[in-house]
Amino acid sequence: MDNDSGFMNRHYFLLRRLHSLSGIVPIGIFLLNHLLTNASIAWGAVNSRGSQHVSAGTIESVGEITARQVGTFQHDVTFINNMPFLILIEVSLWLGIGFHAILGVYYARTGKSNTSRYAYQDNWRYSLQRLTGYIAIFYIFYHVATLRWGWTFLSPTDTPWSHEQAASTFALALKGKVSGISAGGIAVSLFYFIGVTASVYHLANGLWTAAITWGLTVSEAAQRRWGYACAGLGAGLMVLAWSSLIGFLLLDVSSAQKIEHDLHAGHGSMVETEPHAADETQPLAEAR
Amino acid sequence: MSKQAPQQGRTIRFRIKRCDGPGKPSYWQEFDIVPEKNANIISCLKQIAETPVTVQGEKTTPVVWDSGCLEEVCGACTMVINGGVRQSCTGLIDVLAPNNGDTITLEPMSKFPVVRDLWVDRQRLFHNLERVKAWVPIDNTYSLGAGPKESPDSQATHYKLSECMSCGCCLEACPQFNIEEDESKWDESFIGAHAISQARLFNNHETGKQLKDERLEELSGKGGVGDCGNAQNCVKVCPKEIPLTESIAAMGRATTIHAVKSFFSGKK
Amino acid sequence: MSEQRVIVVGGGLAGLAATIRIAEQGIPVDLFSMVPVKRSHSVCAQGGINAANDVARQQGYSEYQHFDETLIGGDYLADQGPVLEMANFAPKIIDLLDRMGVPFNRTSEGYRALRLFGGSLFKRTHFSGASTGQQLLYALDEQVRRFAAEGKVKMYEFWEFLWPVTEGEGEDKRCVGIIGQDMRTMQIRAFRGDAVVMATGGCGLVFGKSTNSVICTGGAASRCYQAGAWYGNPEMIQVHPTAIPGADKCRLMSESARGEGGRVWVPRQKGDTRKPTDIPENERWYFLEERYPDYGNLVPRDIATREIFDVCVNDGMGVDGENQVYLDLTHMERDYLNSRLGAILDIYDKFVGEDPRETPMRIFPAVHYSMGGLWTKHTPGDAVPGEPRAVVHKPGDSAPIDADLGHGMKFCAPDNMMTNIEGLYAFGEVNFAYHGATRLGANALLSCIFDGLFCGMSVSKYVTEGKPKQHPASGVDQSVFDKFVAAEQGKMDTLLSGSETGASDPDTNPYTIANELGVIMTEASTVVKTEEGLEKCLAKIRELRERFSRVRLGDGGAWTNQSLSFTRAVGDMIAIGEAIAKGGLLRKESRGSHYRTDYPDRDDVNFLKTTVAEYAPGGDDECNIFYREVDTRFIKPRPRTYGKTDDSQSKKTQEKAEAQA
Repeated sequence: MDNDSGFMNRHYFLLRRLHSLSGIVPIGIFLLNHLLTNASIAWGAVNSRGSQHVSAGTIESVGEITARQVGTFQHDVTFINNMPFLILIEVSLWLGIGFHAILGVYYARTGKSNTSRYAYQDNWRYSLQRLTGYIAIFYIFYHVATLRWGWTFLSPTDTPWSHEQAASTFALALKGKVSGISAGGIAVSLFYFIGVTASVYHLANGLWTAAITWGLTVSEAAQRRWGYACAGLGAGLMVLAWSSLIGFLLLDVSSAQKIEHDLHAGHGSMVETEPHAADETQPLAEAR
Repeated sequence: MSKQAPQQGRTIRFRIKRCDGPGKPSYWQEFDIVPEKNANIISCLKQIAETPVTVQGEKTTPVVWDSGCLEEVCGACTMVINGGVRQSCTGLIDVLAPNNGDTITLEPMSKFPVVRDLWVDRQRLFHNLERVKAWVPIDNTYSLGAGPKESPDSQATHYKLSECMSCGCCLEACPQFNIEEDESKWDESFIGAHAISQARLFNNHETGKQLKDERLEELSGKGGVGDCGNAQNCVKVCPKEIPLTESIAAMGRATTIHAVKSFFSGKK
Repeated sequence: MSEQRVIVVGGGLAGLAATIRIAEQGIPVDLFSMVPVKRSHSVCAQGGINAANDVARQQGYSEYQHFDETLIGGDYLADQGPVLEMANFAPKIIDLLDRMGVPFNRTSEGYRALRLFGGSLFKRTHFSGASTGQQLLYALDEQVRRFAAEGKVKMYEFWEFLWPVTEGEGEDKRCVGIIGQDMRTMQIRAFRGDAVVMATGGCGLVFGKSTNSVICTGGAASRCYQAGAWYGNPEMIQVHPTAIPGADKCRLMSESARGEGGRVWVPRQKGDTRKPTDIPENERWYFLEERYPDYGNLVPRDIATREIFDVCVNDGMGVDGENQVYLDLTHMERDYLNSRLGAILDIYDKFVGEDPRETPMRIFPAVHYSMGGLWTKHTPGDAVPGEPRAVVHKPGDSAPIDADLGHGMKFCAPDNMMTNIEGLYAFGEVNFAYHGATRLGANALLSCIFDGLFCGMSVSKYVTEGKPKQHPASGVDQSVFDKFVAAEQGKMDTLLSGSETGASDPDTNPYTIANELGVIMTEASTVVKTEEGLEKCLAKIRELRERFSRVRLGDGGAWTNQSLSFTRAVGDMIAIGEAIAKGGLLRKESRGSHYRTDYPDRDDVNFLKTTVAEYAPGGDDECNIFYREVDTRFIKPRPRTYGKTDDSQSKKTQEKAEAQA
């Protein structure tokens, strides 16, 4: 421990700044990208090319909008999944998050919240930054563990996720049932809502304070202006986050499965425009 | 001025957190007072000292508290009043307790060790000024002519920063500055907004600049400006309205530049 | 040599300046203060610090004129040599403070800005907003912190000075240290010092409510006085014309408010209940401007005080029938006011709840400064003036004496500002030396720092070349110190033995005794004094002394016993109060701040003399008064009128009465 704190003290400034930086790169950048991807489950509705690989029959049975949503989302997921050196990107991301989390907890423990005495807005921000940090750690761990690593035993919905059937399996993981929502699903959904909200807040506020820490915004006016910018960014990310959650909650799992089946079947010949029959193969989830 | 005239001759109650000395338990006592005209916390504490009898009729010792100028320029009489830190001399009774039966709660500052009752030992606050070498390193006090010229704008900025009276309000309200009775740990504990702001003041002075790097080294280390959590309570409770958060950001910038320079100049 | 040490008691401007100067000479300093030095009373000084400067010089001003103004301001009661030296040294002090980083206000070109102050027609006051004392104190505090960090100064904060330790008797009597008490642990201890510098400020608390800090009891000076040090001109107490009356103290409203253009007035109509802003210009009585066309609102403080007192108490013309007049800044630009006077306007705003930028302030005089104090010696400088000058020195006249070092007071002479006890010095407000019978505004900061820097050299010379060279304090027998420690311990035990938790019998309550002392002193010995009033005051003091001998503390504890510290000071305030009242009773004339209605004129034949009070315990009175000649080598005293018009008050009052009828 002495050695640890010796190391910490010797490189105190560097670690502080790396901590700040790691919240933006890679974590913040990734979060932005990730939320954009996920939000396509909602905003894919306006993407007319989203349904281009879905058969006409499926479109007819599930509706154009759903086809576009699932199609767009699956397309994005597939794109990410096909990125070269994905594992390197993933590992560096995990390292970044781990670094940020461990140091963050260490730093957060040096403070003592006092909002009960000094109920200023900024003081609430300070306390929330720490609280959301803790939440985000649990949330991100849960999120990655249950969906990426397949530790479904951690989840009350106990459902694995597959990047080939990204929308339907995630909707299932969220809701716990093909139709309606299970009690566990409510818990998971609520946790997702809190977790993603906390993460977005943590990033937006972190961006605001980082500008002070690094000395980009010195004057009170600059801090205020940058505050508006960060609040705007936070609001935007919040819209993305909440709309994707709502999108998945409203998503009809069996429709999604149909669409994914179409997409999956056509994967080898994406250029083909000939629609496939909807009933050729069983949807994955039903096969279990 | 549409404020209602407070009732003269009213009785108000003081709830005071007392402590007989370091390591002793704290306890509460209540006193009823008929405040004088234009009374403040200080004049009420004087009344209590003259007749130290609690609400329960128990005779007790006069309450011990720290005070000095009573004009809000010395910083001595800082305490926690109704839950918030401030100077007690500016605590006007007509504002704090305008009605009969109103209660005012007094507590010692919580971020410094209690000496007795409302009196705390703020030595660490001054020690932290030493950490940032908050002085201009003049050669000597012999006659060597005038100091550097300065623009009125620059003077206005420096004067504002120089008004810090080391009262400790910014530290009391800071969630990152916490009580540390072990003197050997002071140098690694958060230095506080007041010292960061003084570092900025002296780094901006023509001669004070000579110690700039040493100040920035101190601020870059453990307990330095990096420990600030940006709760920004400091600037809100500062009785002198010193732009402490701007100072923190300015020193954030200075330490950033200092680090980059050191990195490339190979000094470290 | 290195074992020699100097003790400085008091961490205000004088104490800090002395500490820096002495430590700089290579002599370690032990600095004692009842408060962290940064909280010393010097922070309360607002207006500025005087010094001849290049701008004023080119308008016909000079160090010599500053000297002349200070003398007439003090009604010629100050010894002239030290005053000359101080005025000549002043510009060096400003330069040094400038180098230390004091944020003096600036002109647009970047030079130090200047403002007008009382008793002068020239701008010769340097300032840092309206908290100049605070800014100067911080600059010195920073330098001392630096020395402390380097180990050249050892700080004893929250230590109270109890008594000077002396050895020998008569001619051989010499101060070799002090007895101090830790105000937290209550430990009483002796400290050895080859010289002891008292820099413990004034005694405003003798008057109960004053503009002073709660620590300004004069306790330390009184203890030296009771230990045999002489006390000079005790009756010379300055009452500042403009203060904000409060329940706990009177808060100063700086003279700079008038220096920057503030105007003092009352409604011409007695009992006018209109809001001040509703009263038209021609219905306002600017009595100072009317009576003193040259100096206007900037007459010296004692004069302004008496005029305000006269208007309120004698004429009953005070605002709303109360003892208060308007101090009006509302005709001035907000931004200008903020940059020049922001700090004091905020004080008014915070404590009164009205914005003085919008509404005229309501003010009344309050006890402010002790011109008197421990009597000190000095070695005259090398100027040989011949006959004292009788001609009035006018702007542009070439100064008869140049401003070089050592003309007024010999530089490095060991006895400069040494009390009658060898090795015991008194610097700053605690001595009697520079301000005579009234101090001019913005001369206090100057005299404090001047003592520290100029006379600090005297201390180091005394220590390195005087008696301590052969007989350092470190060689004094321990029994000498033990004896003094035992005496102080005994006094403390006596006080504590009568304690009773929560004791509040007014007859023996220290707080009540202090309040009663304050009331009688303010009544009898401030703006207007009479033989009858002072006799009554002295009788009351005898009563209070007797009651004090039976005093009962409400706290008998052995840890951070504030009641003990306060009670001890009450006894010391009674002793000083007696000297103040008795000095006033025996000075049968009016001079500067000392105004006797029964002797309204200055009497240079009988009273151009320093009052010296000597403590003489045992009798009914504990104070002996004798007189010493004042050094008037340079300038022959002239009438102190400040161009007052013939338009006398009684005539005015009469006119008003007629108008009303």
